[in-house]
Amino acid sequence: MNVVGLTPIIPILFAFALPLTSILVKGDRRIVQAYALTGTGLTLLSAVKLFQLAYSSKEPLIYTFGGWTAPVGIIYEADKMSALIALVTATLMFLIAIYSYRYLEGEAGLEWYYTLYLGLEAGLLGVLLTGDAFNLFVMIEVTSIAAYALVMYYRDRGDSVVAGLKYALIGAVGTTMYFIALGVLYYGFGTLNFANLSALVHGMSFPVVGKPYGDVVIASGVALALATWAFLIKAAVFPNHFWLPEAHPAAPSPISAILSGVVVNVGVYALVRFLYTVYGGALTSSLSSVVHALSVVLMLLGAVSALFGALMMLVQKDVKRLIAYSTIMHMGYLVMAVGIGTQLALSAAIFHMVNHAIAKALLFLSAGVFIHAAGSRNLEDLAGLGRKMPVATFSLAVASLSLVGVPPFNVFFSKLLLFDVFLDENPVLALVLVVSSVTALVAYVRVFYEVWLGKPRKEVEGRECWSMSGVCLVLALACVVVGLVAPYVVSHYVDPAAAQAVDYKVYIQKALEYAAKTKLGL
Amino acid sequence: MISLLWSITIVSLLATLIISVYGIVAKPNLVKKLIALTIFGDTANVLVVLLGYRVIYPVKPPILPELSKRALGEFVKTAVDPLPQALVITAVVIGMAVNILIAFAVIQIYRIYGTLDVREVGKTLPELLRREEA
Repeated sequence: MNVVGLTPIIPILFAFALPLTSILVKGDRRIVQAYALTGTGLTLLSAVKLFQLAYSSKEPLIYTFGGWTAPVGIIYEADKMSALIALVTATLMFLIAIYSYRYLEGEAGLEWYYTLYLGLEAGLLGVLLTGDAFNLFVMIEVTSIAAYALVMYYRDRGDSVVAGLKYALIGAVGTTMYFIALGVLYYGFGTLNFANLSALVHGMSFPVVGKPYGDVVIASGVALALATWAFLIKAAVFPNHFWLPEAHPAAPSPISAILSGVVVNVGVYALVRFLYTVYGGALTSSLSSVVHALSVVLMLLGAVSALFGALMMLVQKDVKRLIAYSTIMHMGYLVMAVGIGTQLALSAAIFHMVNHAIAKALLFLSAGVFIHAAGSRNLEDLAGLGRKMPVATFSLAVASLSLVGVPPFNVFFSKLLLFDVFLDENPVLALVLVVSSVTALVAYVRVFYEVWLGKPRKEVEGRECWSMSGVCLVLALACVVVGLVAPYVVSHYVDPAAAQAVDYKVYIQKALEYAAKTKLGL
Repeated sequence: MISLLWSITIVSLLATLIISVYGIVAKPNLVKKLIALTIFGDTANVLVVLLGYRVIYPVKPPILPELSKRALGEFVKTAVDPLPQALVITAVVIGMAVNILIAFAVIQIYRIYGTLDVREVGKTLPELLRREEA
């Protein structure tokens, strides 16, 4: 089987087989953990292979499920951008599976945790690799349902159930809106395949659905407005951010890391797919005015979101809530960059997405080490723990300095790229970036001061266990290394990914090659 | 006449969508929020089925009896578009999963707080957190 189709299938298979397996092994935690590590490890291998293949080929990779080609069947089409983000996702999921074991040592139901965890990974990879707008909807739902349930993991704690319920309600409204958008899109175009949609938008020919059925401009306008709203809910961009500061802290720390580092990227990635691959390049004047209006809205909301997130960081007492507001801030940057709409902006956005995923996951994980030791999320309870746990403190320092944008850590370089892009577009956006970064610096310094130099309120038995701190150390080294070799990473991995994502002609061409083989048996 | 009925249907569906979103946002009772959410999902499904519908007589169910040019030609002339229905079936199944999860959360909130009113829950939440810390 092709590695493109295989990558999301592995975690799905492991997820479905886990409840039965755990009955067979009578819920032995070590076997369940080994099983989860095998599942995520195999997925990681598959993602690495996918990454190699995507970067050694000049074209996107295609897998046709059941041999049904576009637009009749659902195809998976992985370009370099998908493969890059899939690799980051799979790596983080594997490392966080190692971390989860010790973090959840006092909790029952590890098998259910991992069932949802593997389901979440399958959904994420499906979103990244799919070449079909409806399959994107299904995979977003798979991701979301697993995420809602994982937020409610501490089901006896009132705050996490309330936070999960809020997340589920707003998320369900968002995905339903995306479903309506799909209906409108299908009514206008007669297809839901990305390559086919893109071909129709750009006036190229495609088999089976050669021309749109209805009014393309109205259908695109309505569908893009609804879909963007849905994606902005998933990415937690102002004014749809209000679920995030409750949902992310309420989950167990490893899940917070996944949600803040990886799951929010889903919304931005889907937005990029629509705006750059389907509606990218030269458009007719009426369509391009629709896309332009959308870009302006995105830049505006992104800027508000960045400033709002930065300001709210200053007043938080709960350390995880503070980090959650920082996620809103960074999603604001990404959405601003996506709204600008140039290839340079996309490449800055992709690099920032990757860097933010690593650094934010690291920040949640290292904060999780302290929370695990202190048994509280309150910043004052964590005071003074830092000196007892040097590795976790080092990781916390690296993560927070990196997220603020201090050289030579990785986020500095992506912020630099973003700054250049913003300055070209409008100096106000660049000013937003600088102001929010400085505000965030103040907030992080407060956390760090408290954890490192604060006076302990009560005696906490502090010991570091290698599996949790080790994962933090690996990610901290990744932050430093990616930062040190940033120019190489950008020129060899990020720029080609952005170039391929905007090259809709190759995207369509590759799907066409397969579609030409379709025989309907007539 | 038909076009009038057609527009009434579409307008009423859109009105239902807006009312159900209002219900999700404004109703304080969690069960009512869940009901409004199911109405929202179902209306979206009906809307998508409607988009694939065509006013043609005589209408036949979208079943292709055999794969030949003649049968296919007749199919295109008499059947409604089956693809939106296939999409809706998928969406219904997914919607059920989400609704069950939300229903579980509502029951769990009732067990913990003894109320289903979000205003009451909002008041009790800080007290619960303080008790945990103390």
